[in-house]
Amino acid sequence: MLLAFDWSQLAQQTVIGLSSGGTWALLALAIVLIYRSTGVVNFAQGELAMLSTFVAWSLVHHGLSYWGAFFLTIALSFLGGVGIERAVIRPVERAPVLTIVIVTLGLVFVIDGIARWGWSSETRSLPNAFSTRPIDIAGVAFSIQDLGNIAVSLGVVVLLGLLFRYTKLGLALRAAAVNPQESRLLGVRVSWMLALGWGLAAAMGAVSGMLTAPALASFDQNLMQPVLLYALAGAVLGGLESPIGAVVGSLLLGVFVNLVGTYVGWVGNDLRLPVALVIILGVLLVKPSGLFGRTAVRRV
Amino acid sequence: MRRAAGIVLWLAAVAAALAVFLLLPHLVSDFHTRDLASAGAFFIAIVGLNLLTGYTGQISLGHGALMAIGGYTTAALVVHEHWRDVWTIPLAGLAAGIVGFVVGIPALRLSGLYLALATFAFAVAMPSLLKKFSGLTGGTQGLRFLESAPFQVTGLKGTVTVFGHTTTQNHFLYYLTWGIGLLGFAVAWLIVRGRFGRAFRAIRDSEAAAASSGVNLAAYKTLAFAISGVYAGVAGSLVAIQSEIVNPLSFTVLLSILIVVGAVVGGLGSLPGLVLGALFIQYLPSIAAHVSTRQGVPEFVYGAAIIVVIILLPGGAGGLLRRLAAPLTSRLYTRP
Amino acid sequence: MRAVYWAGALLCALALAAAASGAGTSTPGVSPTEIVIGGTIPLTGVASSFRSVGLGASYYFKYVNAHGGVNHRKIRYIIKDDQYDPALTMDKTRELVEQDHVFAIFNSLGTEHNLATRPYLNAVGVPQLFVGSGGRTFGADYKQYKWTIGYQPNYLAEGTIYGREVAKTTPKASIAVLYQNDDYGNDLLAGLKHGLGKRAKQIVSKQSYNADDPEVRSQIARLKSSKANTLMIFATPQFAIQAYRFAYQLGWKPKVYVNVVASASNVMNLAVLASSKKEVEGSISIVFLKDPSDPRWAKDPGIKLYRAIMKRYKDKGTNVNDVYNVYGMSVAHTFVQALKKAGKSPTRASIMNAATHLTIKNDPFLLPGVVVRTTPNDHFPLDQARLERWHNGHWASFGGLFRVR
Repeated sequence: MLLAFDWSQLAQQTVIGLSSGGTWALLALAIVLIYRSTGVVNFAQGELAMLSTFVAWSLVHHGLSYWGAFFLTIALSFLGGVGIERAVIRPVERAPVLTIVIVTLGLVFVIDGIARWGWSSETRSLPNAFSTRPIDIAGVAFSIQDLGNIAVSLGVVVLLGLLFRYTKLGLALRAAAVNPQESRLLGVRVSWMLALGWGLAAAMGAVSGMLTAPALASFDQNLMQPVLLYALAGAVLGGLESPIGAVVGSLLLGVFVNLVGTYVGWVGNDLRLPVALVIILGVLLVKPSGLFGRTAVRRV
Repeated sequence: MRRAAGIVLWLAAVAAALAVFLLLPHLVSDFHTRDLASAGAFFIAIVGLNLLTGYTGQISLGHGALMAIGGYTTAALVVHEHWRDVWTIPLAGLAAGIVGFVVGIPALRLSGLYLALATFAFAVAMPSLLKKFSGLTGGTQGLRFLESAPFQVTGLKGTVTVFGHTTTQNHFLYYLTWGIGLLGFAVAWLIVRGRFGRAFRAIRDSEAAAASSGVNLAAYKTLAFAISGVYAGVAGSLVAIQSEIVNPLSFTVLLSILIVVGAVVGGLGSLPGLVLGALFIQYLPSIAAHVSTRQGVPEFVYGAAIIVVIILLPGGAGGLLRRLAAPLTSRLYTRP
Repeated sequence: MRAVYWAGALLCALALAAAASGAGTSTPGVSPTEIVIGGTIPLTGVASSFRSVGLGASYYFKYVNAHGGVNHRKIRYIIKDDQYDPALTMDKTRELVEQDHVFAIFNSLGTEHNLATRPYLNAVGVPQLFVGSGGRTFGADYKQYKWTIGYQPNYLAEGTIYGREVAKTTPKASIAVLYQNDDYGNDLLAGLKHGLGKRAKQIVSKQSYNADDPEVRSQIARLKSSKANTLMIFATPQFAIQAYRFAYQLGWKPKVYVNVVASASNVMNLAVLASSKKEVEGSISIVFLKDPSDPRWAKDPGIKLYRAIMKRYKDKGTNVNDVYNVYGMSVAHTFVQALKKAGKSPTRASIMNAATHLTIKNDPFLLPGVVVRTTPNDHFPLDQARLERWHNGHWASFGGLFRVR
């Protein structure tokens, strides 16, 4: 029985899981970024990424090169993120978490509406950032693209680490999220820090959308809705405030759902997500702040 | 004097609410009462969510999944066991209450956003689970009352006779739903005013303080989830009875989001505004579609309306009602 | 068996209700100047790309109305948004019947959605015309549901065609199947098995996916590892494109059959972009509509009419190359023909009678030779299709017209 086991299948499913997880990690990073700099989870993060992807598509179709469109979209998304924060988050800045969550849920519909209004619902595609040509090593196939997405997410982790740890701006962002009152006293312009957090997260979302669309071969307005669920799960698994946690969490999740879907009969293709969610819940019960999160000290 | 004035005002409000409840169906078209009945089911779910989120501070983005439990309990009893549809309502509430209790146990270890995300995950997972156990749930096709057990549908022939009084099916559904809704509202009001309510609020305001003053955190928090689940289950059951079908596509995460939006728009931690919250989520899609049917516009209007209402009414409709009522009551109070 | 009993009992019980609801003197929805019909379509939400099925039909009705309508009556087609939620479909359909007093329900979209409303519409005796779903039951179960009639070639029949084609041309094939985990995917799979007959055991692997999954790469890898040399893609456009991409990324080059839902030329071109020309070359599908993105029809009078109607009536932001618009116009064309046959003062019974006695040979939107034909014992209006093969960036038909049931 053991001899008949198809090891290359195991390896192949693991590689595919890493690749999917690498894609989810990009959006998970955007979620972590906004959580760290504003203390909320933005349920519209996926839709913002989707809208950025459509902007990139239009830029490419107006003759810009892929990388030109890529960086211009990131810049535009940053401005868009700041603008959204100023317009709709600022009025509820000091409201309870649930209020802000509801506003981001409202944003889900608003952004979705804008994308459906501005672009028809046909299926489209973006050029590939990385080669998708198959490379075969010992019966396991992968492509540069799979490595590329993971490399980008790890690169972002390093950049964010540098930003949050070694720059004044990063420090101010963190302070504003963790303790707005005291930060204000210390002269941090808290409100603008939150706007900046939204801008950065939107820019990261743009990266994720523009790399997810080619990884999934085509896209329409529903591009990021399923991805958001996995990205949220990956981010929570890793600990909502840890960028490296988001990446590791997403990669683990990707491998886990593929293996469990392949080898556990009753899970199959139908229950992968529910089973993954139960596992994550289990992890949270043991370690409520996720694999890489620091346990918050509860204040009375 | 003050107290008497307060009671008079309160009684007047109750009388007015009852009058509106009884008369409304006669002021709108017969079909329209069906829409109002549908709003009534939302109202019940929102009252339940408000007990949980508004009074113990536990955020749930998974109440749509609890409604699914209620709806499918009703549907399975009607379709497989040939129960009369309305008699399944208590069992639907009970089933969802038990599931709510179970969901409440891990919730003890989670708080704030993490709890929101965990319950969100519950809502996300529900449709897959409903599809998987197809023997019981009918899989992707769901269950259809009219096909499998038509005579268990109350009002099958278009009219319903209760105690010798005959109404249309739509009116029956309206009175049934809002009757249960008002009853549930009254029970919620009693809970909130009583010992449970005090414990709930203490937990919401500070868990540590509540615990140190002798409130059993675990018991009250899971209890709140269970009670809230009963409300959601009854609401889901009524949704199933009204549409005479259940299907996984009806219980997506969107439903959970709607219920939370309704509760927040209605005003967390207050009860009277919740009727407006229910009407808001019932009628918003049609209003949004009226603006323009051009692709994307309904979604935009829908989302924008939610955001604008939240920004303009930070306390929800309940907060607004309180502010409107304040001058009135204070004038009453200051009279010599 | 029990279901049949209940359905029969239901119909008896509701004859009363139907009589009481005033089917007496005048037919609801019919006035000297207007015919009001309605249907549900997901205009918003995740499935809103199906909106063209309804909008295409509405554009065709506008065109007909501008040319005098049918028997001097204009057709008013009310589209209600059900957000792809069957409970809402139920609600909106009741609204159309009880509030808007429509003459008939027309072109409502979705299998589960039409299954939900079918018992109700048959109970109250409102025609459920030209259902927007390939579920076989809408044509097959007309004895139980006499007010219901389907339209498009059904998924079971489509699967059967592929099965027969495989059995005929590559009898030794080993087959892998990717299918959507719902009625649509299951029907295609069942049809494939039926068409393969005793060769059904040559299906060496089948993998399902959910419509709300992000991707199907894991499934494709499992299908590949079954060593199959033939791949059936029973999936919607995005997942079909993914199937090509991931097969390519895994270095797998099976012979592909792709279902008609995902075989419009623009989708195939995206599949080529996502994988390679070689990967997609030789794919086989069926066809019954003229695809506006297919250069074969660039000078075709039917597609010229289609483009003229689109140019005149389409909403802003509608994609002219979307084949769902053509489908909508075709089903609207069939309704107009049925209405003409239903007499000067149509009733619900007469439109149903007309809809079950159709022979339409000149539908401009259908493939040449395809005839819309129904009889009281045949509730499958469209049951003909051609096989086609993807070659050098285009579809090319081969073989004759298939009759599919």
